[in-house]
Amino acid sequence: MGAPALRLRGVRKWFGSVSALEDVHFDAHAGEVHAIVGDNGAGKSTTIKIVAGVHRADEGEVLVNGGEPRHVRSAADAQEHGIAVVHQDLALVECLDIAHNMALGTLPRKFGFVLDRRRMEREAAKVLRDLKVRVGDVRTPVGLLSGGQRQVVAVARAVRMDKPIMLLDEPTAALGVQETAQVGEIIDELRASGKAVVLVSHDLDFVFSHADRVTVLRLGRTVGTRLVADVGREEVVGLITGAIAPDQVHDGEVA
Amino acid sequence: MTVTAKPRDPLAEHGGERTGVVAKVLVRQETTLVLVVLAVGLFAWSRSSLFLSPDNLTAILRNSVIYFVMACGAALLVIGGGLDFSAGAVFTLGALSTCALLVEGVPWPLAVLAGMAACCAVGAVNFVVVTSLHVPPIIATLGTFYVLTGVDNLVTGGSDVLPLPAGFQRIAQGSVLGVPNDVLIAVAVGVLFWFLLERTRFGVNVRALGGNRQAAVANGLRVFRLDLALYVIAAATAGLAGIVYSAQVGAGQVTAGGTSTTLNAITAVLIGGVSLMGGMGGVQGVAVGAVLLSLIDNALVLTNIPPQYNSIVIGAILVCAVAVDHLRRARIYRKR
Ligand SMILES: Nc1ncnc2c1ncn2[C@@H]1O[C@H](COP(=O)(O)OP(=O)(O)OP(=O)(O)O)[C@@H](O)[C@H]1O
Ligand SMILES: [Mg+2]
Repeated sequence: MGAPALRLRGVRKWFGSVSALEDVHFDAHAGEVHAIVGDNGAGKSTTIKIVAGVHRADEGEVLVNGGEPRHVRSAADAQEHGIAVVHQDLALVECLDIAHNMALGTLPRKFGFVLDRRRMEREAAKVLRDLKVRVGDVRTPVGLLSGGQRQVVAVARAVRMDKPIMLLDEPTAALGVQETAQVGEIIDELRASGKAVVLVSHDLDFVFSHADRVTVLRLGRTVGTRLVADVGREEVVGLITGAIAPDQVHDGEVA
Repeated sequence: MTVTAKPRDPLAEHGGERTGVVAKVLVRQETTLVLVVLAVGLFAWSRSSLFLSPDNLTAILRNSVIYFVMACGAALLVIGGGLDFSAGAVFTLGALSTCALLVEGVPWPLAVLAGMAACCAVGAVNFVVVTSLHVPPIIATLGTFYVLTGVDNLVTGGSDVLPLPAGFQRIAQGSVLGVPNDVLIAVAVGVLFWFLLERTRFGVNVRALGGNRQAAVANGLRVFRLDLALYVIAAATAGLAGIVYSAQVGAGQVTAGGTSTTLNAITAVLIGGVSLMGGMGGVQGVAVGAVLLSLIDNALVLTNIPPQYNSIVIGAILVCAVAVDHLRRARIYRKR
């Protein structure tokens, strides 16, 4: 297997005196879905936000495509490094419509400075159509959407960015059965198109049916990474709860 | 001075479909506002035949220019999630620094630019205090207001700056094809701000910043740059208003700005339907808000109602406007 699309090594993060991450490491590969699971507060979202450029790691390395350690100072930097994110809190602006939200950060322009609203709306509608999701007119303010619809918009936005690395933080938390299946399909397609997908989820069924590998975080540490094909639910649950002792691996190549 | 193009407040176009006629009216705060303007106008007209005279209407419009120019920058800032209480003192700074240079014989275009530059510098200071020192905008800019008011007074020794060259006074007192120059300035500023807000990436980013700052950060917007631009722009329009006012009255007055000027700008913004919560509102509403303020000034004078009633009326309208804003938000946005 070649260089991982995304590699984290010994990542630590404090918020003031609170230690959110103690030692997080995992490798995510192109064409694979890499799940991250763990209890509430285990540090999953913090890990995602560090890779996404929202937070900065205090220690450790984040490497993209086997390159030099990245120095991301902002979410814009992360985008330039080929990373698209669906945040757990969705990061949508309620007073803007779906099309604006989907293009935020990369709004299309004409004549150099005029917002190209037509193109923006056309692109947004096309992405939603391609994903076969229904959230209504792209001019609907996100504030009017239900929680599930918002989640779909957030996923669609990340898909629209078409980056080689996709981070999805609980993309199905607010979704019904049908929408969850739909997002599952989207994830399968992303994998098929060669992207490295990092999927945070509490839904172990969802993880087992869509992920290739799973990394378990506990109290801000990576306690183990397994191939989904080789592991049973009990073992994953054991790692999550601490009933099973963490792996004693530090040099990197786990699983 | 209202801009004519079709408004693109997303709420305006979609709220109504869901919530019926009442909300439709509430949603377009400008509609309600225009009704209030008409009501005040009718009242004044019924009490005084002078009200509808061309001279009086022109006076109302010219008076509103000052409110409107200031309110444009203030509105952009509030839409972007900020607030500027220093506007009244920046107004005076713009007026005094420009007039001081004019008295020294500096050509007026240069003097105006220098006055605006001084104001922009104050805006940058506001930005630094708010973002680097983490002082909430209302406190930071209030601090700037007091410091700057002191400086304004110290530097001039409390006396007006006179006399101003005719060329400068023409900025406000001349006219083109019968339209007063100061009104033209307001139209130009209004069109510029409408365009910025509704038709550029910057405008959308400002709405995103004010609507949900965390989301703006997560989406890679350069929020510090936006903040800086907003505080500088707010200060620039406050300064410009002060300069135009000096040209109107033909003197740099130490008492020109002040608390009431700050409050008038913010009032025009809020009455105009810009939400203090950020993200929502537009230049059209602010224009009507500015005209309304000026109209109330005028109507009370014409109808011999004591000036104390001015603040009572404006206070009542302000509270109503903000209550309506809250109402329409509550009706239109689901709680998550
Ligand atoms: N901005 C912050 N400031 C202070 N502490 C924070 C911040 N963000 C996260 N934390 C802390 O870091 C720890 C990890 O939080 P994180 O959100 O990463 O957990 P999580 O695994 O995503 O949990 P959940 O399953 O509930 O989403 C928690 O103890 C949390 O309180
Ligand atoms: Mg989380």
